[in-house]
Amino acid sequence: MAFLEIRNVGMRFGGLHALSDVSFDVERGSVVGLIGPNGSGKTTLMNVISGVHKPTSGSVSFGGRTIADVRTHDVCKLGIARTFQIVKPFANLTVRENVAVGAMFGRDGKKRSTSQAFEHASELLEIVSLARVADRPASELTIPDRKRLEVAKALALDPDVLLLDEVMAGLNASEVDEALDLLRSLSARGVTLIVVEHLMKAIMSVSTTIVVLAEGKKIAEGAPTEVTSTPAVIEAYLGARYVRRVEAARIAAEGAR
Amino acid sequence: MATKRVGLGGITGSPRALAVVALVLVAMLGIPLLHNGYYENLARGILMYSAMALGWNIIGGYTGYVSFGNVVFFGLGCYTSAVLANAGIDNVWLAIPLAMIVAAIFAIVFGLPILRLRGHYFGIATLGIALAIEELVANVDALGGGTGVTLHQATWYSQYYYAMWLVCAGSLLATWLVARSKFGYGLVAIRENEDAAAVLGVNATHLKIGAWAISGMMAAAAGSVFAFATGFIDPPSAFSVDNNVFPIVMTILGGVGTVAGPVLGAFLLTAINETLWSHFPQIHTLFFGAVIVLVVLFLPRGLLYLQNSRGGWRAFVRSLAAYRV
Repeated sequence: MAFLEIRNVGMRFGGLHALSDVSFDVERGSVVGLIGPNGSGKTTLMNVISGVHKPTSGSVSFGGRTIADVRTHDVCKLGIARTFQIVKPFANLTVRENVAVGAMFGRDGKKRSTSQAFEHASELLEIVSLARVADRPASELTIPDRKRLEVAKALALDPDVLLLDEVMAGLNASEVDEALDLLRSLSARGVTLIVVEHLMKAIMSVSTTIVVLAEGKKIAEGAPTEVTSTPAVIEAYLGARYVRRVEAARIAAEGAR
Repeated sequence: MATKRVGLGGITGSPRALAVVALVLVAMLGIPLLHNGYYENLARGILMYSAMALGWNIIGGYTGYVSFGNVVFFGLGCYTSAVLANAGIDNVWLAIPLAMIVAAIFAIVFGLPILRLRGHYFGIATLGIALAIEELVANVDALGGGTGVTLHQATWYSQYYYAMWLVCAGSLLATWLVARSKFGYGLVAIRENEDAAAVLGVNATHLKIGAWAISGMMAAAAGSVFAFATGFIDPPSAFSVDNNVFPIVMTILGGVGTVAGPVLGAFLLTAINETLWSHFPQIHTLFFGAVIVLVVLFLPRGLLYLQNSRGGWRAFVRSLAAYRV
């Protein structure tokens, strides 16, 4: 049995099939890049894996537990944590307090006293380079810093699996590099990562496996280089006409030879 | 490392305000020595409203669930004392813990269904419960029905003052402990964003019920002493609108979600009320209503937020300007 199993997951919102029959395994320690055009169901899948949505069909199981049977506040205690694409800071708490809440109520929260939770929060803020604003209210943070805060809050839950939903959106080139370094160091510490990202170069460089979604279906899965040369993936991103043109050009080139 | 508090000052609020409030409370222990009935009654009223405001602050201020029915706990406290007195046990010191137990049970039983409601719906449900319980009590003959219950008072009348002082000081201490605990941070996380709190492992249902129970226990303890101190309880006095609204306004005036704010608010609002009442006996409620409106318009987060360096007074002036005053 794989570490994290996604089996035939379907998710319908009324008449909209946000996901249909998505299956793949996530191995311990891997970095899975989840890509796909806008509206392809990436965030929905993240919501299903993290237990925010119960799938209308299929299941996600982690360590022998079906996620849909676990209450939202217990999911993090299994070792699954996530960030939100639309960030949800506790606006009137300081940055440090935001993270400390996770350290208090997360997986190892029971073992920590309040002051230990604050110390742990301070360490995590160093890791995501937010120590400089630790005592500012979260409402004052810039967008990139809010993304960092999301990561720190998720890390405070001491996860085995971390789901990152577009944490690099809105970052500049050097910030993206920092973020990638962070992902690599997390991965090196044994955290399994599932990463949704639009920045292809970034996600290709960090992922061990790529899963491609389009219109709620999985259309490809494999190593980064394999996936990008799959016609279905090119079609999903650039359209069928582009694929035909590339194909025609290739045949023409072969014919001319 | 000591965690530095800036901005909104952690979740305890200003330590200086808390120190002042604590000192004033200690000083208030001396009031009965003045042997002045008016002062003692007035001070006991302040202590009572402080405890009720502190109670409301736990659920409405810290957890962000605005309750319009906390008077129900006050009423339950009153009637716990009434039942005890009817049974010939006119002991306020026994009534306080019993009232708190009754309130906790009530909060758990009613909290389970209604704390699932969010925002205004929770407020409406609490209001409904308060009205329903008042009607219920008014129709139970064993509780005196509509005519009420007379409680036999002890010869040492000031013991009720000290009992109320204990209830208030206990509520303040409990609030301070909550604001320094994981529980307190969990409540604030629920207030800020309940969904995000759940993702961080906060069991919102448990924490909310705990908060409502603590909130109710404070109001019930105040009610149990009030019943003995006045010596007579009927549904309109136990479940009065004043006792429902005053603690909310006091908390808002002093500082929502701070430890000292509700007590500060109780002092100020009682002072305002007394002044208006003595100067304008006919129309003091009109002025008092105006004060409430002004507080909600211009100080929606309370006086304690004004002393912040950021926002603070400037924000207050901005809000005045926004209303073109």
